[in-house]
Amino acid sequence: MIGVISYLVFFATTASILAIAVLGLNLQWGNTGLFNGGVVAFFGAGAYGTLILGGAAQAGHLGGYGLAYPLALLGGMIAAGLMAWIVGLLTLRLRHDYLAIATFGVAVAFENLMRNAEWLAGGAKGVRGFERPLRSALGDGFIYNLLFFLAVLLILIAVYLFLERLVASPFGRLLRAVREDEEAAASLGKSPARLRLTAFVTGSVILGLAGGLYGTFYAFVSPQDILPTLTFQIWAMLIVGGAGNNRGAIFGAFLIWGAWTASGWALSRFAPVEAQLYTGSLQFVLIGCVIVGMLMWRPQGLLPERLVVSQRGKPPSVQ
Amino acid sequence: MFNHTHRAASAGLAFGLAVLGTTASAQECTTKIGAVLPTSVDWGRPIAETAQFAVDQVNEAGGAAGCQIEMVLRDTQVDPKVGVDAAKALVDLEGVKVMLGAVSSGVSMPILTSVTVPGGVMQMSCCSSSTAFTGLAEEGKTEGLWFRTFATTAVQSAIGAKVAQDQGYGSVAILYKNDDWGQDMGRMIAADFEAVGVAVTTSIAINDAQPSYRAEVTEALRTQPDAIYLALYPAEGTAAVREWISLGGTQNMILANSLKSDEFRENVGMQYLGSALGTDTSSPRSDSADAFRAAYMARFDSEPNGPGLANSYDATMIALLAMEAAGPDATGAQIAEAVARVTDPAGTPVTADAAGFAQARDVLGGGGTVAYQGATGNVQFDVNGDVSAPAVVWSFTETGTQEVSYLPLDEVDAFIGSLR
Repeated sequence: MIGVISYLVFFATTASILAIAVLGLNLQWGNTGLFNGGVVAFFGAGAYGTLILGGAAQAGHLGGYGLAYPLALLGGMIAAGLMAWIVGLLTLRLRHDYLAIATFGVAVAFENLMRNAEWLAGGAKGVRGFERPLRSALGDGFIYNLLFFLAVLLILIAVYLFLERLVASPFGRLLRAVREDEEAAASLGKSPARLRLTAFVTGSVILGLAGGLYGTFYAFVSPQDILPTLTFQIWAMLIVGGAGNNRGAIFGAFLIWGAWTASGWALSRFAPVEAQLYTGSLQFVLIGCVIVGMLMWRPQGLLPERLVVSQRGKPPSVQ
Repeated sequence: MFNHTHRAASAGLAFGLAVLGTTASAQECTTKIGAVLPTSVDWGRPIAETAQFAVDQVNEAGGAAGCQIEMVLRDTQVDPKVGVDAAKALVDLEGVKVMLGAVSSGVSMPILTSVTVPGGVMQMSCCSSSTAFTGLAEEGKTEGLWFRTFATTAVQSAIGAKVAQDQGYGSVAILYKNDDWGQDMGRMIAADFEAVGVAVTTSIAINDAQPSYRAEVTEALRTQPDAIYLALYPAEGTAAVREWISLGGTQNMILANSLKSDEFRENVGMQYLGSALGTDTSSPRSDSADAFRAAYMARFDSEPNGPGLANSYDATMIALLAMEAAGPDATGAQIAEAVARVTDPAGTPVTADAAGFAQARDVLGGGGTVAYQGATGNVQFDVNGDVSAPAVVWSFTETGTQEVSYLPLDEVDAFIGSLR
């Protein structure tokens, strides 16, 4: 029984971290309409930033600054934000698919930089030897994982509340205005370029936060963690959950990650021994079918965006 | 006198019955072990098959620690998140104390740091080659729970340097695959070349799946080396070597074992590979390695030639032997400790098959130790969970490869010692 709880806590931690990332993407795509095809770059910047700033000294590459954990995590977020700012200045004039291709290129370039620049982050071997915060006090066991999960959950809730407030505010209305019709927004004296950049950087900082937590949780990050697959996974979560709806983003993260892991577990459990070797490939087929099915029959996602009228006029007077 | 014999005989009979009894009861319980391997990747599947093969042989011999063994196999998809989750599910939901895998270092490492070490589970990888594991073990962060049967790149690299020295090459250019294995390889071989007095003219990373490697090859060519060293996989190796030859590069080549492939030989062409020499870690010249090959061929109808097969077999076998030595209900740490008892060079040699496992059970039951004679050799782990191995130098022939020379384990160790 304790095993089941222990596993569920572990699962929920990973899912919550991914949910934070999906929330970040939702601000960019769901609310502002920015097609970020390079999610992993910002996620990775957060992870690498956190581990390099907070980790133990490593021979041969940057690291060993031993910052207190919150500062390290903050550093990771700043790294992601800085990168987003630079990338944003260069690419945000691009629209839709062009922006997607440009940011995808940034992500591939980032992965290649991390794979090759051994002096920077250990190259293909990655950054290891990170001491998880409070580990010496709490040990390594179930209690640690439980407390870590609660911390991640609190952060997830905080990010959710922040974004809910943000999109309900006049600023959120502006984001949607830019998403729907940039020229109309500009005609009202708003600056779409600045709004897009603000939303892009904010979303990327949230992606960096998720990356920092991810690196902390595994106490390790390598170029293998920031392959384009992760971008695809986070996008799938947002599409299935419902772009434009923060609750949908969280729901989608839990659902897709749950389906991803549960299908592997179920196949290894129930498939006959002779078929075991092929279950890995079968799992890909299953996941692909779920996503295609969603896109065909419920393209707005499971929890679609609720269009709100943010300022109601007076109710019509009753005759 | 008669009485004495009689008593001995009845003691023997009682012992025999007791053994039968345990064998019979062994059918009644099942111990699960976990395996996280990339079964959705073409080369990962045979590795998993070979692990299952070892489990089947042990079950045939009556199981380990009194129970039949069930290997629960999960796919990693070569995705760290997926692999870590699968490993955690195996530890928490299936209660495994032994974890086989993973293949990629980038997957094995987070499993080690976030699942097996915190969970006190022994992890034995067939194929992860990164030197980062050695570093982690030296820092004491693996807590003795980490082992791998893949001889570290140190052996390959040292033998590569020995070939250059024996051939009398004065300078060598290095082309290496741009991943964790290749980067380690490139760095170590450069150091080893320097140690034997061979100059390294340049060291160039080769990225996967480029349409052309002309720029990289030209850069290497410009340094005019006596020979090139290639730590590449067949696909990009073929492309790089074709351009190298067509631009007039030397045919003196030293190849890592990753290029010991028919694909590479056929696609480059034998006429250009006459003076290419390869290195590889080797099966020992022992009966057990032959027994493995024979048993493998009987089971799968092909030679165990894929990457990591012998290593996967040994990883599984040693893990199960250690479970046997640690006894029923052992923790992961106890099983990890027992690894030393089954790979003890002073112990009774046992072969890598069902009969060898049964023999090991008798020896271990009597409090002895055994020396497992595996498919990759007389496997011995150092304190960091790393193995050394005998080595061969090989060359291509019209039909495949042939051995040029064989270096037993003690010669390899002595040569590596002389380099440091």
